Amino acid sequence: MADDLFSRNFFEIFQVPAGFVVDFDKVDPLYRELQKSYHPDRFVSSTDQERRLAIQNASLINQAYQTLKEPVPRAQYLLKLKGMDIDAETDTTMDAEFLMQQMEFREAIAEVRSNADPLDELDTMLSVLKNDLQILADKFNTLYTESALADAREVVRKMQFLIKARKEIDTLSEELENELL
Amino acid sequence: MALLQIAEPGQSTKPHEHRLAVGIDLGTTNSLVATVRSGVSETLPDENGQHLLPSVVRYQKDSVEVGDAAKAHAVDDPLNTIVSIKRLMGRGIDDLKTLSHQLPYQFAETESSVPRIMTAAGDKTAVEVSADILKALKLRSEQTLGDELVGAVITVPAYFDDAQRQATKDAAKLAGINVLRLLNEPTAAAVAYGLDSGREGVVAIYDLGGGTFDISILRLKQGVFEVLATGGDSALGGDDFDHAIAEWIMSQAGLDKASISHSTARLLLREACKAKQALSDTESVELNIVLDEKQTWFGSLNRDTFNQLVDPLIKKTMMSCRRALRDSAVDKDDVMDVVMVGGSTRCLRVREQVGAFFARDPLVTIDPDKVVAIGAATQANALAGNNPDGDMLLLDVLPLSLGIETMGGLVEKIIQRNTPIPVSRAQNFTTYKDGQTAMAIQVVQGERELVSDCRSLARFELRGFPPQVAGAARIRVTFQVDADGLLNVSASEETSGVKAQVEVKPSYGLSDTEIETMLRDSMEHAGEDKDARSLREQQVEADRVIEALDAALADDGDEMLSSDEKDAILAARHQLQTAREQASDSKQLKQAMAALEKASASYVARRMNASVQKSMAGHKVEEFKSEESEL
Repeated sequence: MADDLFSRNFFEIFQVPAGFVVDFDKVDPLYRELQKSYHPDRFVSSTDQERRLAIQNASLINQAYQTLKEPVPRAQYLLKLKGMDIDAETDTTMDAEFLMQQMEFREAIAEVRSNADPLDELDTMLSVLKNDLQILADKFNTLYTESALADAREVVRKMQFLIKARKEIDTLSEELENELL
Repeated sequence: MALLQIAEPGQSTKPHEHRLAVGIDLGTTNSLVATVRSGVSETLPDENGQHLLPSVVRYQKDSVEVGDAAKAHAVDDPLNTIVSIKRLMGRGIDDLKTLSHQLPYQFAETESSVPRIMTAAGDKTAVEVSADILKALKLRSEQTLGDELVGAVITVPAYFDDAQRQATKDAAKLAGINVLRLLNEPTAAAVAYGLDSGREGVVAIYDLGGGTFDISILRLKQGVFEVLATGGDSALGGDDFDHAIAEWIMSQAGLDKASISHSTARLLLREACKAKQALSDTESVELNIVLDEKQTWFGSLNRDTFNQLVDPLIKKTMMSCRRALRDSAVDKDDVMDVVMVGGSTRCLRVREQVGAFFARDPLVTIDPDKVVAIGAATQANALAGNNPDGDMLLLDVLPLSLGIETMGGLVEKIIQRNTPIPVSRAQNFTTYKDGQTAMAIQVVQGERELVSDCRSLARFELRGFPPQVAGAARIRVTFQVDADGLLNVSASEETSGVKAQVEVKPSYGLSDTEIETMLRDSMEHAGEDKDARSLREQQVEADRVIEALDAALADDGDEMLSSDEKDAILAARHQLQTAREQASDSKQLKQAMAALEKASASYVARRMNASVQKSMAGHKVEEFKSEESEL
């Protein structure tokens, strides 16, 4: 009997082991190959039922690929596979030192306009942020491998903070660039 | 064509039959139709040898003119001669405030959210006007090629939102055209260039048309065109160059913008457009404009002044390029080619600025007016199954984020822009009052944080879930975006399993009833009873379904199905057959078809997976491994 995409997890769909480190040299070509087979464009002359199925399959492949592609969704998905619910953590408190750092960082972003070369300053902030994210990602990988899942989840939450800060930097850079034009 | 008859992906079920499919570029200023003949994709001329059909429609009491015949009356009959209608596609009454200075028509007072232009032939919506343009192109292709059209790929700006795409599809429906796919214009242009080259890498498509600007960053690899990011401005184009020049003329000639007539406004725009085109060949152009019998204005416009007028507009396009590059995580240096699309890229200043931005000469070898239609025809030909060897796939992305309104008029994004499509996301909602049995969800599209700054797509009212205490209900709403970029929403209440009723109120689009009315009013369906037509359509579909099922069962029914499964399917088939012969209304037939669909769902899924795996087998392991070792 034919294998069903919906019965596989996202890592199984791309035939790679479930883990934080993903071999994209293997995933990327298979992604294109799977889309070439399942995309609704391959079923233009089929019935409505088949086309709906093709849309569902192609959506699933896209969702799986997007999840593996980005570190935070990938980490969250790994935890979900281990039975941890990311959303059900309303009573958890964050470590105070980290929150303090974050507040200072956000303030620095907000005040960047008063800087002599704000775009340059934002670039510097961005590289600091990238570095911090990498450190957290490595930490997650270690904790996840050791099955210290609760601690790993804390690391993911910290990563989410940094991703939000990165978005703020991106938006601000865009604004500043547009003003300079 | 057939249920369950799954051909090899990309192949027609009837490989020897050529199926007439065309690509249509439905443009703001001009439209084109193209098809693949003897392996070559080319645009089709009219009987006078003209390829471009001006996107102009003139309505008189008993006649409709499209193209040059209509355009000839743009000045003397401006209110009945509709130009640049694409700018109104998917737009609402509220948008008229910002658009109306460019659309000198009289709009009817109406309760509908869709603007209606008053003409001698009655009130017309943008969808109807576009349908008249599409009908002309359909007629042209059927007359030229002597066959009935199987379907068309119609191009839209990548930046078109859901309402604009839906309006385009509605126009095609009204024109009696089967849409194989809505394709983004830049992607179509990339296809037109991509087929000859066979190169792999990142391509930027800079598309400046009459009324829209798009920038797309694509990667071509393994026969897949992957759209990495798109951006642009759905209200910026060469027409704005004309407006800038016309306003300059007005200020030079001491004319008051508020007091000039519609026809003078048109005249100035036409002269501005001519001046713009002339400046690509000469340094300076002389203007003499006959304002009325007594007054003629003389002046001259040189390149420097022209550049000053249009540079702010070109700079706006560069901001979009910058953002698209950022979104695609691609460096300017990684861009292998820059493809120029749209008539406005003929403007030398545009080529200069784009060349300077990307630090390489842009590609201009294919006529920028035709390149989109040519690419669309290539894709239409492949989708219709005429090209079994070509297995190129176009993977598009969602152009604008989809979100919903939360407390305080804020937007919560459900699907981010530039997410590959098709895509689906589910979101859980709950009630905030005891006994609540309904809720309304506002869906918006756009990047801004406030609902009021985004485009409202629709309001969904979910009702009919059982009363519970506040917060106990779990309503799961699924947002599904298909390959055309069109959104579909479904919802169910999870604790009780009740399928909540979803009522869609499109904010700007036409409701199904309105489209139905238009279809009925349109010439080819006049006099036909709606119910009778609906029944006939269902009968045709039922025949198709039965025929396909029989073929599938003969092929692998015994292999893939247990005898119980097969019996269940055959029972449902029998029911449908009976309904087909006896049913007098389409509802009964629909139910029987739905029952068969349910009974055969798992069988269809299994066949699809088997077929896909067959097509992937062989290179599944070996090819990927070899590629891996190369990298």
